[in-house]
Amino acid sequence: MAGTLAQLRPGQNARVTDVQGDAQLQQRILEMGILPGVEIRLVRVAPLGDPMEFSVLGYNLSLRKSEAACVTVEAL
Amino acid sequence: MSHGTHARADRHAVALVGNPNVGKSSLFTALTGARQKVANFPGVTVEAKVGTARYENTEITVIDLPGTYSLAARSPDERVAIDALMGRHEEAPTPDGVILILDASSLDRNLYLGTQVLEFGLPTVVALTMVDVAAARGITVDTTRLSAALGVPVVEVNAPEGKGLDELKATVHRVLHHPGKPLELPFPTEFKGAVDSLYATLCDLSVALGFKPTRPEALRLLVDTGGPLHDEVLQAGGPAFATRLADLRAQASTGKSLALVEANARYGQIAVWMRDAKQQQAGQGRTLTDKVDAVLTHKLWGSLVFVLVMGLVFQSIYAWAEPLMTSIEGLFGWLGATVSGWLPEDAAMLRSLVENGVFGGVGGVLVFLPQILILFLFIAILEDLGYMSRAAFLMDRIMSRFGLSGRSFIPLLSSFACAIPGVMGARVIEDRNTRLTTMFLAPFMSCSARLPVYTLMIGAFVPKQTVLGFLGLQGLVLFAMYWVGVLAAIPTALVLKRGILKSKSTPFLMEMPSYKLPRLKNVLRVLLERGGSFIKRAGTIILAVSIIVWAALWFPHNEEISAQFDAMRESAQVAHAATLDQFGKEFRQGMTGEQLLQDKAVVAALADLDALRAARQADQARDEEDLAEDQDALAAAAEKRSAAFLESLNELHRRHGAATSPAMLIRQADDGLADSQRDIDNAEAAAFANDSYLGRVGHAIEPLVRPLGWDWRIGMAAVASFPAREVIVGTLGTIFSLGEVDEADEGLRGALQQATDRDGRPLFTLATGLSVMVFFALCCQCAATLAVMRRETNSWKWPLASFAYMTALAYLGALVTFQVARALGG
Repeated sequence: MAGTLAQLRPGQNARVTDVQGDAQLQQRILEMGILPGVEIRLVRVAPLGDPMEFSVLGYNLSLRKSEAACVTVEAL
Repeated sequence: MSHGTHARADRHAVALVGNPNVGKSSLFTALTGARQKVANFPGVTVEAKVGTARYENTEITVIDLPGTYSLAARSPDERVAIDALMGRHEEAPTPDGVILILDASSLDRNLYLGTQVLEFGLPTVVALTMVDVAAARGITVDTTRLSAALGVPVVEVNAPEGKGLDELKATVHRVLHHPGKPLELPFPTEFKGAVDSLYATLCDLSVALGFKPTRPEALRLLVDTGGPLHDEVLQAGGPAFATRLADLRAQASTGKSLALVEANARYGQIAVWMRDAKQQQAGQGRTLTDKVDAVLTHKLWGSLVFVLVMGLVFQSIYAWAEPLMTSIEGLFGWLGATVSGWLPEDAAMLRSLVENGVFGGVGGVLVFLPQILILFLFIAILEDLGYMSRAAFLMDRIMSRFGLSGRSFIPLLSSFACAIPGVMGARVIEDRNTRLTTMFLAPFMSCSARLPVYTLMIGAFVPKQTVLGFLGLQGLVLFAMYWVGVLAAIPTALVLKRGILKSKSTPFLMEMPSYKLPRLKNVLRVLLERGGSFIKRAGTIILAVSIIVWAALWFPHNEEISAQFDAMRESAQVAHAATLDQFGKEFRQGMTGEQLLQDKAVVAALADLDALRAARQADQARDEEDLAEDQDALAAAAEKRSAAFLESLNELHRRHGAATSPAMLIRQADDGLADSQRDIDNAEAAAFANDSYLGRVGHAIEPLVRPLGWDWRIGMAAVASFPAREVIVGTLGTIFSLGEVDEADEGLRGALQQATDRDGRPLFTLATGLSVMVFFALCCQCAATLAVMRRETNSWKWPLASFAYMTALAYLGALVTFQVARALGG
């Protein structure tokens, strides 16, 4: 099942397939270790529905929903 | 930019490079102790700290660079790291080597920056931190294998406990004498070729560029679109270079984005190293951080904790700082008066300079310390704890609507107490544009220095009515004043973020660090740094401004004014002496007033009266008229002293009635003299203020402030309050000949209510009061805020823009308020 990071449910694992978005955002996401092939999990969503907290490469990182939507994943 | 030549044979410099939240600051402090200074770089808002570590007989300068996840330079701030590594900043020495800090608990991501640093080929030592945190998560790192993989020594350190520091220093000392070797990463051949070609082209441009480029910089230029290096090189190389760069980028990309090619190569290499050097036990349960986060970021409990924590932060800055601030002001007021009292009496200017200019100014600087220290106490604890990221996580949704980020919340909240800690607190925001926007908005929040202005104006001109049966009108107006700033801030934020501070996207990629217990040492260090930097950097500017404003109020100090008032003083003295003489004649057979005051009996009666008054004042139950009732007590006291005195007293009673005693007559005459002298002093101060340069400015700008319903006196008071808004209260007191007053002073309130304009109509109406309040709600009349803004942004551009924009807004706001209120009949 393919989708974006923004569509994951809390606790759900996924594998990154692509990172899109404008050049600078894409670069920042890649630098933080979110790149194709990496496994990532949605930990929780903030009480107001945005941003979202993910666990990747053994650390946690928060992304806004709009940023998470730039990362396409396949659910695991 | 210059190539520093600080490195000598006996003196070395190393740069400390690492991600944020990896214990970089603690390591820096552990290595250098208290010997550190801040290096500001031109044109950027980040700074580096420079300190000195000692190893045996060698001194090693340590440069603590801002924490970063990557050397990619998309903004001038991000470029600091590379430029400092290359020694292109005058304020920091050229590093001979690097201490690369890697967090063992998130080693993969830390190594991303690590590979970029190792490509420079500077002698490098890895300091591996957070080994204990990693172990708790089942992660073990084999330092020998990691060292072999990276090709540089790896030392485990635990800075707070002092572990590994000596070994780190010894290793650094050793590697500094051996040139390093640039790390080679498995980039695709096309990519490598493009970097090499670009490097060759860059080297040819080095004269035009003004510095000698390096191969890793060629890589950065190839991958990073936009950014300062890109602009600089295009300027130096012209259109021909732009075409060449585009060709090389196309050649290197092989269909993928270059950022992806770079990330793939680095993380690919890191994965290979980690298979060998890192072991992770699978099936780790929920960590403590996960469990705590389940509560602290919970919809209900998390929000509740957040509201409580923020309430505590605000309450402490707003209310708890108050007694400390009052004591500081009191202390400096007293010191100023005392020290100026030591100066010769005829040196009036020097006395005023010392009391009002110097001590007033120093007190005006230090008075902000309690709020700054309290805010940074919370920031340091919450940041150390890891809660700052959670607070930002909770608030981001709301703040992002206004183009801000969750991290803007605490600085803006604190600004309701005082914009100075707010502006300083904005440094926790990583993104430059968001940080600048937050700093720009901080002075819009209604701070406690505006309260005196509101209190005075509301007390004098807003009727004590209730609206809707239960809301006090005065309180309602005060509440509205707090909203004026917020409502002006919202469109300002949106315009800023879409205009000047526009960035295509302001990513909110924020690491959520694991919770850690705050360390007292860390907290104290932050307090010391922030407090010290405020006093040193902002304090000097604030002091200078208060002396300038003092001078503008003092000079030209026309002596003719003094002479005129001295004449008045003299005639008051003469009148007083004549009154005393008259009493003497009536009371004791032809005594002069002077003799009367030397008469033991009269002096004793005066002393009795003083004692009685003191008792009455302490009591406060009765007023002065009641003193007459105590004639009997006085007479009884006097009787003991002299029968003759009693006789005279009785004689006097017969003549003046029972309510009068000689002591009271003398006291009344003395009080009368003191009153008229104070009136003369106050009138003189007002006359000097009128004639001062600042007064002349007030007259000159009168046509400008007329549409706001102000006259020259309010205009001048507004100008005089440039150092700090609350100064307007004191200035109004001086101009209205009341001497020293505060905002609750009934005399000042009454004077404002009775003040008339030149045409004889009341100067102040409700409309004028509202216009003054709106002006002060929106203006940036605070030298300290502007000084701190200049210090934090490292440029005068922002404070000047802030002052100009807010003054224009304040003027328009006051204009509209006055005209509308007057039209409505206010």
